[in-house]
Amino acid sequence: MTPGTVSRRLPLVWLALHRRRRMLLSLLLGMVVFETLIVVIAGTVAPEELFGAARRNPPGAFRAFSGSNGDISIASYPGLLGAGLTHPFWIALQLTVIGSLGAAAVAADVESGTIELLMTRPVSRRRLLAERTGALVAASVLLNAAATLTVALGVAFSPKLRDAVPEGAVFTAGLLGCALAFCLTGPVLAVSALSRRRAHVIGAAVVFGAVGFALNFVALAWSPARALRYFSPFHYYAPGDVLGHGGVPWAALGVLTGVGLLGLLLAFRLLERRDLAI
Amino acid sequence: MPGDGTGSVIELRSLTKRYGGTVGIERLDVSVAAGEVFGLLGPNGAGKTTTLRCLVGLLGPSEGQVRVLGLDPVADHRRLAPSIGYLPGELRLYPELTGQQTLDLLAALQGAPVPRQGELCDRLKLSRADLARPVGEYSRGMKQKLGLVQSLQHRPPVVVLDEPSEGLDPLVQETFYELLAEEAAAGRTVLLSSHVLPEVQRTCGRVAIVRHGRLVTVRSVAELRHARARRVRLVFADGLGARPLGAAERWSPRWDGRRVELLVPPDEVVPAVRGLLAELPVADLTVEEAGLDEAFLDLYRSGDGESDGEGDGEGEGDGDGEAAVGAAGEDEAADGNRDGSDGETTP
Repeated sequence: MTPGTVSRRLPLVWLALHRRRRMLLSLLLGMVVFETLIVVIAGTVAPEELFGAARRNPPGAFRAFSGSNGDISIASYPGLLGAGLTHPFWIALQLTVIGSLGAAAVAADVESGTIELLMTRPVSRRRLLAERTGALVAASVLLNAAATLTVALGVAFSPKLRDAVPEGAVFTAGLLGCALAFCLTGPVLAVSALSRRRAHVIGAAVVFGAVGFALNFVALAWSPARALRYFSPFHYYAPGDVLGHGGVPWAALGVLTGVGLLGLLLAFRLLERRDLAI
Repeated sequence: MPGDGTGSVIELRSLTKRYGGTVGIERLDVSVAAGEVFGLLGPNGAGKTTTLRCLVGLLGPSEGQVRVLGLDPVADHRRLAPSIGYLPGELRLYPELTGQQTLDLLAALQGAPVPRQGELCDRLKLSRADLARPVGEYSRGMKQKLGLVQSLQHRPPVVVLDEPSEGLDPLVQETFYELLAEEAAAGRTVLLSSHVLPEVQRTCGRVAIVRHGRLVTVRSVAELRHARARRVRLVFADGLGARPLGAAERWSPRWDGRRVELLVPPDEVVPAVRGLLAELPVADLTVEEAGLDEAFLDLYRSGDGESDGEGDGEGEGDGDGEAAVGAAGEDEAADGNRDGSDGETTP
């Protein structure tokens, strides 16, 4: 399939990705540049030197910024690399993809009226949502793959980082990133399936991401609110811990994927029942 | 290709669609036979678009039943959609896609060959250069032409067009009317909505007039013509100008100096004229047929009181299998319809 040629097998995936191809390229480039910056900083400046000459340990809540629920400080190589995978910029890029393609799944077409052209064809509502979900997942995987490959190359070329990070941990962190994106994707698609305004969907993506991150931070910073962390997807997304200790956090992967699937099931259900024209 | 054995391709029974507390369309009974070009006539907000959206499965009815080729447009969407060509009233396209990409995308979703794409583009004056440009650069008329191509390119047996000639220049309108006539001649069924009377007069055999979401009447265009009011013009000799006309006030007198114009139902013209001549100093008198638009407006003005009865009557007709003709049991309407079909669909 040449660029600009409509895919006859997956026309709705093609449509979603083709219309946002420039945005997706920009996000991929931004992600590569950002992770390169993180890897360069981590490889050239000792992490403990980043937090003052007094060698004070950063506050415990800062673990939220290094993607750790345990003992991985941001003032460590895995903590710094984890920070690159939990940074608000990283989150913003992920939410941009999820919000944009999530809105495009249903709500944006309803709002603009283009749904009338699509859904008067022999296209079931399930197919519409399935193809649009496929486009969103593909874009998220691409974005996480860009981040993962950049960090993996940085680790491979830096002896200090290579010594600090277990083999394969970067790819596990990347997998966890995909799971987080999917966890946010499900509920966002449910909002898209219900709403007739793209702003609702983009707002929902921002709220799920920002509130989730804030909840995890508050739970780490303030012990009475500790139980709240279980309600945040960022509690289960801990790339710092993976980069520090290795291993695959199956339970966290399960929770993130499960929430995403529940959101997706809800989206299919809601779409079956709604009117598609304003 | 009716699917329910009654001869009707499109069957609306007591169709009601509400949006919360707002009524989009209420208790609409209409049926359209195979090969018929049927018009849905009414001003903006009358419920035409809601009706068409129910027909193509974008909206589910709140009450009542919709059948197209014997299928439910929502429940049987995937079986029915290959047989439908649809042009939305407010055609929205993806501005980044070129015209050709738009047509290809919609053809891919249709999943069927598009044997007429090239021919339709040629006839509607959409050149290759036009099709290579992004749709965002198109004028309203060009978008509408693209919309017509996508609705007809796969030769659907049922064509649903919402305000199809909006934005088309007169030459392309002519081509569009030719296309409609060809569709009907080929046995395909066309349902179009419009608020443009000459267009309906030109293209449709029968018309349903809707108002405030309710059916005012279903008549053949020929019957509408026969039933239309007579325009009675009087010039008074005394030069006194406007004055009370007694019983004739109900015929909406329009005064212009010492002249007055009345729209009188055809069966009341003779007694009306006789009464006026007897009571008033009439110097001159002319009687002529009013235009179709005035007949429509006349129906529209009186629609409030009639809508229930006429709507029900049509509904009963549908139920009795009289769907292919006008109001139930009206042979005259049936004849009128046939006349209208013959006379009105040929440009």
